[in-house]
Amino acid sequence: MKKTILIISPLLVICAFAISTLFSQNKHQGLNETVDKLNRNVVVSGKKDDPLTEKISCKTCHVTEYPTRKDPGLRSCPRDKMLSGFPSSKTGPDVVVINEMSENYSGVRFSHGLHSQMSEMSLGCVDCHHYNISTEEILKCSDCHNKNRSREEVSVPDLKSAFHRQCMMCHKQWSHDNGCNSQCHVRKGQENNLVQKDFTGKIHPKQKEPEKMIWETNYEKGKIVTFFHDEHIQLFKINCKSCHGNDKCVKCHDKPLQPTDYSKPIHRKKSFEEHHMPCLNCHKSENCQKCHRDQEMTPFNHGKSTGWILKSYHSQLACEKCHGGQMPVKKIDRNCSSCHKNFLPGKFEHKKTGFVLSETHKDMECKSCHANNDFAKNPDCKECHDDKSFPSQLPGKRK
Amino acid sequence: MKNQNRRDFLKTAAGIGASIGIAGSVKPAKASEKTLSDDRFGILVDTDVCVGCRHCEWACRVAHNIPTPDLDTYSDNSVFKEYRRTDASSLTVVNEFENEKNSAMPVHVKTQCMHCEHPACVSACIVGAFSKLEDGSVVWDGDKCIGCRYCMVACPFQIPTYDYDRSIDPQIRKCDLCFEKRKTEKLPACVNICPNEALLFGKRDDIVRIAKSRIKRKYDVYIDHIYGEKEIGGTSWMYIAGKDFEKLKLPKLNYSPAPGISESIQHGIFAYFVPPVTLYALLGTIMWITRKKKGDDSEIKDETNQDKKGGAL
Amino acid sequence: MMIPWPVKHRFLTPGVFVLILIALNGLVFLGIRFISGIGAVTNLNDYTPWGLWIGVDVGAGVALAAGGFTSAALGHIMHREHYHAIVRPALLTAMLGYTFVAFAVFTDIGRFYYIWHPLIMWNGTSALFEVGICVMIYMSVLYIEFMPIVTERFIGRVDLPDFISFLNKPVDRFLRYIDSRLALTMFIFIIAGVVLSTLHQSSLGTLMVIAGQKMHPLWQTPILPLLFLLSAIAVGFPMIMFESLLASRSFKIKPEMHILSRLGVMMSPILGVYIAAKIGDLFIRETFKYIAPLDGTAWMFIVEMALIIIPFFLFLSKKITNSVLGLFIASAFVIAGVLVNRINNFVVAYRPFFNPVEYFPSFGEISVTLGCIAMLVLVYRAIVMIFPVITQDRKDVYNKMIELDKSGPRRWI
Repeated sequence: MKKTILIISPLLVICAFAISTLFSQNKHQGLNETVDKLNRNVVVSGKKDDPLTEKISCKTCHVTEYPTRKDPGLRSCPRDKMLSGFPSSKTGPDVVVINEMSENYSGVRFSHGLHSQMSEMSLGCVDCHHYNISTEEILKCSDCHNKNRSREEVSVPDLKSAFHRQCMMCHKQWSHDNGCNSQCHVRKGQENNLVQKDFTGKIHPKQKEPEKMIWETNYEKGKIVTFFHDEHIQLFKINCKSCHGNDKCVKCHDKPLQPTDYSKPIHRKKSFEEHHMPCLNCHKSENCQKCHRDQEMTPFNHGKSTGWILKSYHSQLACEKCHGGQMPVKKIDRNCSSCHKNFLPGKFEHKKTGFVLSETHKDMECKSCHANNDFAKNPDCKECHDDKSFPSQLPGKRK
Repeated sequence: MKNQNRRDFLKTAAGIGASIGIAGSVKPAKASEKTLSDDRFGILVDTDVCVGCRHCEWACRVAHNIPTPDLDTYSDNSVFKEYRRTDASSLTVVNEFENEKNSAMPVHVKTQCMHCEHPACVSACIVGAFSKLEDGSVVWDGDKCIGCRYCMVACPFQIPTYDYDRSIDPQIRKCDLCFEKRKTEKLPACVNICPNEALLFGKRDDIVRIAKSRIKRKYDVYIDHIYGEKEIGGTSWMYIAGKDFEKLKLPKLNYSPAPGISESIQHGIFAYFVPPVTLYALLGTIMWITRKKKGDDSEIKDETNQDKKGGAL
Repeated sequence: MMIPWPVKHRFLTPGVFVLILIALNGLVFLGIRFISGIGAVTNLNDYTPWGLWIGVDVGAGVALAAGGFTSAALGHIMHREHYHAIVRPALLTAMLGYTFVAFAVFTDIGRFYYIWHPLIMWNGTSALFEVGICVMIYMSVLYIEFMPIVTERFIGRVDLPDFISFLNKPVDRFLRYIDSRLALTMFIFIIAGVVLSTLHQSSLGTLMVIAGQKMHPLWQTPILPLLFLLSAIAVGFPMIMFESLLASRSFKIKPEMHILSRLGVMMSPILGVYIAAKIGDLFIRETFKYIAPLDGTAWMFIVEMALIIIPFFLFLSKKITNSVLGLFIASAFVIAGVLVNRINNFVVAYRPFFNPVEYFPSFGEISVTLGCIAMLVLVYRAIVMIFPVITQDRKDVYNKMIELDKSGPRRWI
């Protein structure tokens, strides 16, 4: 009985192992197939050496090794790079008249110049010219979207709805209006009654960057929220797009609430999620008190918030020098050797600190003088020497 | 009863036996077993794309000859203040719901008959005035309907409406997927007019596939559920949304077809008429046995007979 | 000597006068319904398509007419000759009850002129179709079962007006022919009547099963058909007792306590089975938790159960089953219990997810229902005065007839 068990059990283990490897291989095959398909689709347009037509691997889009739906670990979309070849907003047409499908309405005058300039505040040209991976020519909407409402290909919207989706998604948000006549269309024969505004040559005024913003909230445990816009940009070097990547006009403009003085901010009613998501995207594990205080917050101070005061040398470094480039910042070990790899007993040139250790002290471990390896604190000589004290009596020579 | 004799009884019993045989050999046709075409239609309502222009409401009224104000009046947003339902003069309505993710872009949900795969109304209708056509649409036949409103009781989505103010020829009204119109045109009126193509009309299988791919592609926008794919055994109209469907006033329903339990009870009671006929035979036997035992009742009977004869005034 | 005989009594009494007024009031609203549509009279809307008329007139009407088949099963099929005296009144109640149900359906359906459609347009999957067709056939059966009473009344007494008096003989012969044929085949109809009743009483329960999640879980159960059948059986005898006691009081006849008491003794087991099924269902589906909030719906359930459980204990007592008042009250409890059950099933339990206006029957709806019930009572009164339905003591009948003869010229009967 025992023998059979002894024989069978390794066999079982081997079988299990074989099956598991087989399955994992299958999975990889499936993945590879889809990647191949993706590649084939991409290669269709463009030259061989073009960076755009580089083979797509999982890593092109995903940062993490095993992306899940919950945590796909996506990089910002490579479409941005693909479309770097777009001409600047100034070189595009100023006004485009769309009258391809007008039955009841006269042509729509689309102020392309103004819109393309405004798009710089959001996703850029790609926002509308999606999937336009060729850099040589800008595709017309009607190249892909069918003019007829035949709906042969159900997954691609026809031209009419493609236009409407592009325009209405924004226009409806800031005007709260669905009327055809009010914004874009004018009924045929009524052209004189409703004159469309002429936006030729107009551009959006430059936005002001705030230094800090202070909100008074309803949250009882901390009414005041302070946001240091300048710190986030200058100190933490956060890319504008990581917060403002998908801003629509409605972020600032709300037609029914529009003040005549454009310099004043608009307080649009926002949901809880809308208020908090911009901050929570990075400050994921923080509690409410991180932002909600009783008083206005003071600017960022490394010593106060982390307990590690930046002294003369460290204070001049850029954040990413120690914390790495990615936000939110990594916490790092306070042990000097975690950054300074050569700060080890025997290797560390103590004379760099201003004095040379004597022969007796040279071979000792760091912590025998610097308690708990805390180099910020002064060494305590009295541990060994009853009559010596720091810094009046130093071991060795001053340099 | 009184003069009934044993021979009569046997004759009738033989008749009952014969009728069992007939009932057993003739299989009653079930309405629910009607085959559905693989190419049957499905419609997807993409609530993320819908802007709530209500043109579908206008087009629907025009297509069904219901009087309607001018299309321009439909851009009035104030109707959204109140939640509306379909009624005898509107076979489809669009309602507005708050969007937590983007308050400037409220969610709009179109309501109309869902054209279930296993419709409760078809199963329930007393005269079979509702029928599920091969192409998926559920249509009403006014020449049959008796106006009992059982379909309204049965419908899990509360869709069929009734003309309460008409005495003669009141209508049961609901979306018919423009069944008449589609004989000459390709699309139902609402789908045809939708400026944003928030309504996607095609083969049901394709529609489900597209809905799934949309959810996958915009996983941060939609919740991972196609309303109507499996609800009460599947519906022709399906919804995808970024918000819990119950909050969009689409009822939370289980996945078993609505008429399931009721039909199985019906078929249980009437399994080829065996239970009723058995009951009949059983009662007949009891009647016969008890009669034989009660020979001593003759006294009473004679009396009543005498009464009858002597009772003339 | 007890014999069924036409009741000798004045038709018009103050009570009858009130009934006529109620009936007239109902007829006015009925007229409005047929001229201006259902919406003009009722509070029904797209969210609550069925209301009082279906709940009381149809649901409760069918249940309360169940005395017809329970007494037929007892008297004719099980041959308990002792109970024959109650079979005729029960049969008349059932016949009139079903006529009343049919009329209520005619009023409630929107396209009333198509009421004959289910005869030729069949839908086997529909519970309503089953109810409809069974009720139609059963009603015909009831009329056939009543025929012998008509022939009994007129054979040998056909007395047509003078100008067609030559027809007296042929009509008499015709009646005799029908009577003889019916006597041979009556058992077919009696068994059919019981079978049809069992079927549609239970299918009436299946009606609301398809409403699925729109029904309150306290009532929505797959055994609804069984509960409906059991409750119909349970309400059959109480209805006979109630009606018999009421009639004997109204016509000043001695109540037939020797039969009614024996029926009363049978009631507790019958009610017990129904209560067991109802409470068993409550615990198996664990729906008792819906009683806990004690809201309006839960109270309706409690009231319904109380109205059934109280008479269960009342009928256990010999004292009560032997007293006229006791029987009357106990049977009234059961009738009210089943009435509330039907209203609960068809109206209270129906709670669609979207329902902006809580349904409550309008004055017009209540008027029509009460009017129909009043008419039913009036017709019942008229029929028992014309046909030999109610069993009475021969001596009393004879005395009353002599009295009537003295008081004036001899009437039609």
